[in-house]
Amino acid sequence: MTAQAGAAGVAIAVDGLSAGYDGAPVLTEVGFSAAPGRLVCVLGPNGGGKTTLFRALLGELEPLAGSIELSGRPAYMAQTERTRLDFPVTALDVAVMGTLAHGRWWLPPGRRERDAARAALERVGLTDQADVRFGELSGGQRQRALLARALVQDAPVLLLDEPLSGVDPASATLIAAVFRELRAEGRTLLVASHDVESARSFDLVLCLNGRQVAFGEPAATLDRATLQATYGHELIVLEGGRGAVTVQHHEHGHEH
Amino acid sequence: MPSPTDLAELPFLREALFELVLLAITGGVLGAWVVLRRLAFFSHAAGSATFPGLVIADASGVTPTLAGLAVGLGYAGGVERAGRAGHEHGEGTALLLVAALAGGVILASDVFESGAAVDRLLFGTLLGLTATDLAVSAAVAAVATVAAIGLGRTWSAVGFDPDGARALGLPVARADLLLLCLVAVAAVAAIPAVGVLLVTAVYVLPAAAARLLTASIRGLIACALGLALAEGVVGLYAAYWLDVPPGPPVAVLGSLVCLAAALATRRTAA
Amino acid sequence: MEAIDFVLDPLRSGIDRRALLELALVGSLCGALGFWVVTERLAYSAESISHGLLPGLVLAALAGAPLLLGAAGGALAAAVLIAVAARDQRAGPDVGTAVAVTGLVGLGALLAFAPDSPQRLEELLFGDPLGVTDGDLVAATALVVLGGGALAALHRPLAAVAFDPGGAAAAGLQPARLRLALLVLLAAAVAVAVQGLGALLVLAVLVAPPVAVRTHARTPARAMLAGAAVAVLAAIVGMEVSFHAHSAAGASVALALCAAAALGALLRPSPRAARRGAPPRSLRRAPASPGRGPARA
Repeated sequence: MTAQAGAAGVAIAVDGLSAGYDGAPVLTEVGFSAAPGRLVCVLGPNGGGKTTLFRALLGELEPLAGSIELSGRPAYMAQTERTRLDFPVTALDVAVMGTLAHGRWWLPPGRRERDAARAALERVGLTDQADVRFGELSGGQRQRALLARALVQDAPVLLLDEPLSGVDPASATLIAAVFRELRAEGRTLLVASHDVESARSFDLVLCLNGRQVAFGEPAATLDRATLQATYGHELIVLEGGRGAVTVQHHEHGHEH
Repeated sequence: MPSPTDLAELPFLREALFELVLLAITGGVLGAWVVLRRLAFFSHAAGSATFPGLVIADASGVTPTLAGLAVGLGYAGGVERAGRAGHEHGEGTALLLVAALAGGVILASDVFESGAAVDRLLFGTLLGLTATDLAVSAAVAAVATVAAIGLGRTWSAVGFDPDGARALGLPVARADLLLLCLVAVAAVAAIPAVGVLLVTAVYVLPAAAARLLTASIRGLIACALGLALAEGVVGLYAAYWLDVPPGPPVAVLGSLVCLAAALATRRTAA
Repeated sequence: MEAIDFVLDPLRSGIDRRALLELALVGSLCGALGFWVVTERLAYSAESISHGLLPGLVLAALAGAPLLLGAAGGALAAAVLIAVAARDQRAGPDVGTAVAVTGLVGLGALLAFAPDSPQRLEELLFGDPLGVTDGDLVAATALVVLGGGALAALHRPLAAVAFDPGGAAAAGLQPARLRLALLVLLAAAVAVAVQGLGALLVLAVLVAPPVAVRTHARTPARAMLAGAAVAVLAAIVGMEVSFHAHSAAGASVALALCAAAALGALLRPSPRAARRGAPPRSLRRAPASPGRGPARA
């Protein structure tokens, strides 16, 4: 069950969480907590439980065991491959969709909602693309539009599913800058990622592989044993033990 | 050629005119979502599946439309639970529809010996529309309009990104179930006028042309509404002039408009 | 004996004998071909083409020309129109197909309702096996011989492509051409079969037999032979029912086919077959896009 946190200076607290589909657990033994204003990188191989964790945090999946405490409903930024590119919506329309989270979805968007959407678009650098159809945007621009949708929800916790995958460097830099701004605003971000190296620049890192392998500050947590347990055979260690990269298995097409 | 004003002056034609206008309203506001949410085949199937029930109701004196509603809703519920709406419908559905058509025609020709009903049920009727048909179409148009206004944003968010829509806390499953039920009910409501086989002429063809001509959802709905009204009225006139059921002329007109729209936008298409 | 007389009575009538022969011939080829139709996911195309050829049928009926000609021309025109319409990017393939098919069915009905045309629409839609001509029997025989030969010749390439299109292409087979050949065969089968079953019901003879046998047949060859047998059996049952119950012949056969599919799908394979290893449901490949199942991390 999801309960309200926040007063005790905790943005998100998970304890003994086990979640899965049709009664069979896919993810077990997850327990961690993060204060407001933290960037948490969620690492793990495909099928390791990252998306399952997000779904449980969003309340879409009823946990099989354990508890979740959240300070408010999280905002979610999904992987862009799952959106329909031929839908007749503009970047602004997509951003406005975020306001549906405020409830009263049966009303048409009002002035305040449109303004909030435009502000979010400006934050991600898409002001000029507000009236461009979503399908006509570049990959990086689409990611930014989806980020704007998440920003509009004004949530204390944001869950981002591989926000930088397949994104051009300029967009990636912009998105990373927005992350730092959000952290400064006291929001907590959980960013699912494949990039082990970039994880080292986060405040906290959570390693999942069917279960929680490790959680903590990257410097202390991301040692070889942890990475091995997290990625198993997907791990390639660079010579001299200076670093490790993971093999990415993506089944959907990317824009590079 | 008969005078177009006959449509408004002759009483039996007036009823047909009202019916087609009411259906066109639904064709616009709901048809847009049929096209956007890929429910074209579903709308056709919902109409066809009711065929045997309609034959039985027709023969036993029960108003077919009301009987068809029950079947339509049942079909919608079944499809939603199977999670198949809009996606690849299986061979099972295709065979179900064949069985419905075959069963219906046997019931009509051999059991009830109401052979004339077959043409009417398959392609619609100009003169045989009843007050109940009009009432049902009016109710459907009203409900569809209200639902489209209230649920449009949700249906759009789900169509664009189902995961994201769920994450926003929208009642995705219920909104989609309502959409399916509305489409099924609308399909049944259109059967008296255009027939079981040509339900898509009202709910898919105008919106498909509109989809080619517009770039936003609002534009799509407005354009679909206009096209549905125009095609319905002109199609009705053609049916009166040629002395054929209304379904076929509306269908031919609708597809020609789609063709024209496709040709007109070919060079500017994205 | 009364029971035997009961069964053999339809065969005493020349008309019913010819109807049964036509349906059996067509059914045997379509029941086998249907395996590939289902495996290659062509059922929707088959349905669309069979509905869309209606104007061709009506025009042939109006002109007094052989229906086979109208059916073949109609199937060709429908296939082309549907292929073009389905390619539209903005509306989507399902909408494009619906536009083409609805327009064609409407056109066919419009032509049929024209005042001075014979009221044969119901026969064109639901079939008229009892009206089968010598020409139809010749066409059906030709279909079985030529179509059967084509299926036999193409059997191994079709199986290879269905199992692993990428690997088959790498081995020099041409999946696109095979698919085209299959579509041509499909159109021809539909054009011949439409005489007996009608535009609206002909799909049953292509889809019901494979559905009936797919959990029971272990190889494509067995599935095709079993499908042919099921189709012939259903034709016999349907004609018997039609004869004795005085129901529409084409529709009765279609219902028999659907019933066979339902029976076949409901009956689980025998434990003996299960012990030998699960029979392949079909050579269906995994869908290219992630399915609707729960998304994994």
